[in-house]
Amino acid sequence: MVEPLYLRDLAWAVAALLQVIVLFFIFRQKLLRAHPAFSGYILATFLQSFLVGWVGRHWGVQSIQYFDIAWGMQAVVICARWLAVMEIARQILADYTGIWRLASSILFVLCLAVLIYALALAQYRWTLMVLSADRAVELSIALFVVGMLIFARYYRLGMTDLERQLAIGFALFSCSWVVSNSLFESSRNPSNAWWDFFQIVAFLATLIIWANALRKPMYRASREALAELPPEKLAQLSLQANTRLRELNDRLNHLLHSKDSRT
Amino acid sequence: MTLPVLLFMASAAILILLLAWAVRPPRRSLTTEEALGALSEDRHYARMPQILQSLREDDTEFMRSRGQSELLGHVRAERRRIAVRYLTYLLDEYRMLVECSRAMAKLAPELSAKREYEHLKDYLRFVLICRSLQCRIVCGLEPWESFGTLSDMAGTMTLRLESAAARIGESALQAPTSLANQGSGDAE
Repeated sequence: MVEPLYLRDLAWAVAALLQVIVLFFIFRQKLLRAHPAFSGYILATFLQSFLVGWVGRHWGVQSIQYFDIAWGMQAVVICARWLAVMEIARQILADYTGIWRLASSILFVLCLAVLIYALALAQYRWTLMVLSADRAVELSIALFVVGMLIFARYYRLGMTDLERQLAIGFALFSCSWVVSNSLFESSRNPSNAWWDFFQIVAFLATLIIWANALRKPMYRASREALAELPPEKLAQLSLQANTRLRELNDRLNHLLHSKDSRT
Repeated sequence: MTLPVLLFMASAAILILLLAWAVRPPRRSLTTEEALGALSEDRHYARMPQILQSLREDDTEFMRSRGQSELLGHVRAERRRIAVRYLTYLLDEYRMLVECSRAMAKLAPELSAKREYEHLKDYLRFVLICRSLQCRIVCGLEPWESFGTLSDMAGTMTLRLESAAARIGESALQAPTSLANQGSGDAE
């Protein structure tokens, strides 16, 4: 049987390669300006892989230095992921001021509630504190991304294929972290190697989704130009709508009257 | 496996299911012109008195007195069939109004969470009532009360759209420069 450690190392190498490929696509498609937070996130994960790998070899994976640096880098990467997720949300929703305000406030409250819920459910063993906090954050990231996509679907907001694929990748990755952290916590004899392997495979899958989305030539989605109408045109259209709706309402009142007179 | 772990796994599974639903490409949104065009068309609910009248038993009772019982059965079945189709059109019309309300929401500088929730709730209620009404008509039960509810709901939606459009107009006239830059209006 193949040792999980070897499999993990292999997956780690493939993940590093995919990170380079994703970064290459970002530069080739000139997306650094359009997606700075996402580019920063990929760069952060790339640095994390090497730094954690180097520290593991230098001090050993059981050392306190490894623990501090690995979880410290994880905190940095999670912050970078939050920024990348916010960047996508802003790109999809921020053109629509009202929807953006409503969505951001609802999602903020929901994420906070989930964070509290996840921390409240966590087992208070000090060895698992970091893991529980990590899981809580991942769950709230997943909720944020899914909530954002639900808002976009409900209001029929357009988004590019890249934005959709990036969001899918973030949500799936965060969900897989929640599952793997929970399995690790519940396991009586948790093996670090298998746990790491599961997470790297999830990350690999996410990188494949992103690389595939970035590989295609970029088409700027033609966002619906409702908000870009000139004010005179907007005023004219809304007054027109108002008149027509008033007519409809008069007709409805007439209908209700005629119904009342029958019954 | 403990209960909290199960809850976390279930939360992740629910999120993945919601993700699968949410990432399907949405139906094409109405443009402003299409929304206005759709709003100016004749409404199906304007035909409601005639449909209600056609479903009244006393409207066809004279056939029985003239010994046309077979024809009476035919006419009533046909009228019920038309009423069921009418309800399908009514549902489509309400969906169109909801689409208009969503198109207007894109223009709004402020949206009320409560009102948006009410929109969603009303829409689901409308669908439910329409379907139950269709079942009632097919089963030969009297549908009067539910028809009234549907009519009220369509009216409420129209009123909401009307006030939203009025506020869009006011905003557009009051602050033309800022509207050009950031989009304007006020929807529900």
